Amino acid sequence: MTQENALKIFKSLSDMSRLRIVQSLTGGEMYTELLAERLGLTPSTVSFHMKKLEDASLVVSRKEQYYTVYSLNRDMLAASLFDVASSEPEQTDDQQKREKEYRQKVIDTFFEYGKLKAIPVQRKKKLICYEVIAERFVPGKVYSEKELNAVISPIHEDYCTIRRDMISEGILTRKGSEYVRVK
Amino acid sequence: METFIDYLTEKIESGKAEIAGLEADGRKDDADFARVRTNIYEVCRTVTGALTSRPGAGNGAVKAQFERFKAIWGGALEKAREHGDARNIVVEETKLQALEDVIAHFQEAAE
Repeated sequence: MTQENALKIFKSLSDMSRLRIVQSLTGGEMYTELLAERLGLTPSTVSFHMKKLEDASLVVSRKEQYYTVYSLNRDMLAASLFDVASSEPEQTDDQQKREKEYRQKVIDTFFEYGKLKAIPVQRKKKLICYEVIAERFVPGKVYSEKELNAVISPIHEDYCTIRRDMISEGILTRKGSEYVRVK
Repeated sequence: METFIDYLTEKIESGKAEIAGLEADGRKDDADFARVRTNIYEVCRTVTGALTSRPGAGNGAVKAQFERFKAIWGGALEKAREHGDARNIVVEETKLQALEDVIAHFQEAAE
């Protein structure tokens, strides 16, 4: 277990509603609506809390007809507090970690559900956004302009500017009317 | 319309008490959702106050604004559901539930 996982566990459990959910699940598996009724919460609020508990690997879910049934991940809960607290940090240096966090912050700011909300003005931020868009293209594969536009236009309406910028930034190369992702 | 504004003020005050209670109970996320709900009552009170005091505007303008909110937040909820965005599903549902309550009371007061 890494320190990042340990932090997720502590964060997810440092909320009384989630502690009550965990406590309810000690009696056996349960579905969202039943938990909502027991805890006086809306089903969507329970789902939100369950997502946090699932992300921390404290609960597991399975689909049963129309319901999602949750149960405790007993292996994770059996880990001692000592094991969790003595977890090692991920093997990344501080600089790498800061860059990763910055990149994620830019992505969270400029993208919503896979759509680019606005083209950033700052070049550094713009490059990050274009790199995210470039992930939609297979490196080395040749795309026609129509194919390229079909990928970019659902992300942002100004696909011409993005296409041009991606070429000038060396993310895409253009030969005639054929485009290739290079990085 | 005064009763309606009083109702919204009451909801804002009880919302603030609920937020404080949830925070004291260590339920930060639930407190955040209660804050979203309270904020909707505040927004609706501001909108009602501004539109009913504007010459030429009135109950119709307030109702139209509430309907605009409903359309926007309904769209946002649909989007959140589409993407399985658990937090925003709760946020948008909370906003819409508060708005439904506001609209029901507004209609009652306007009759």
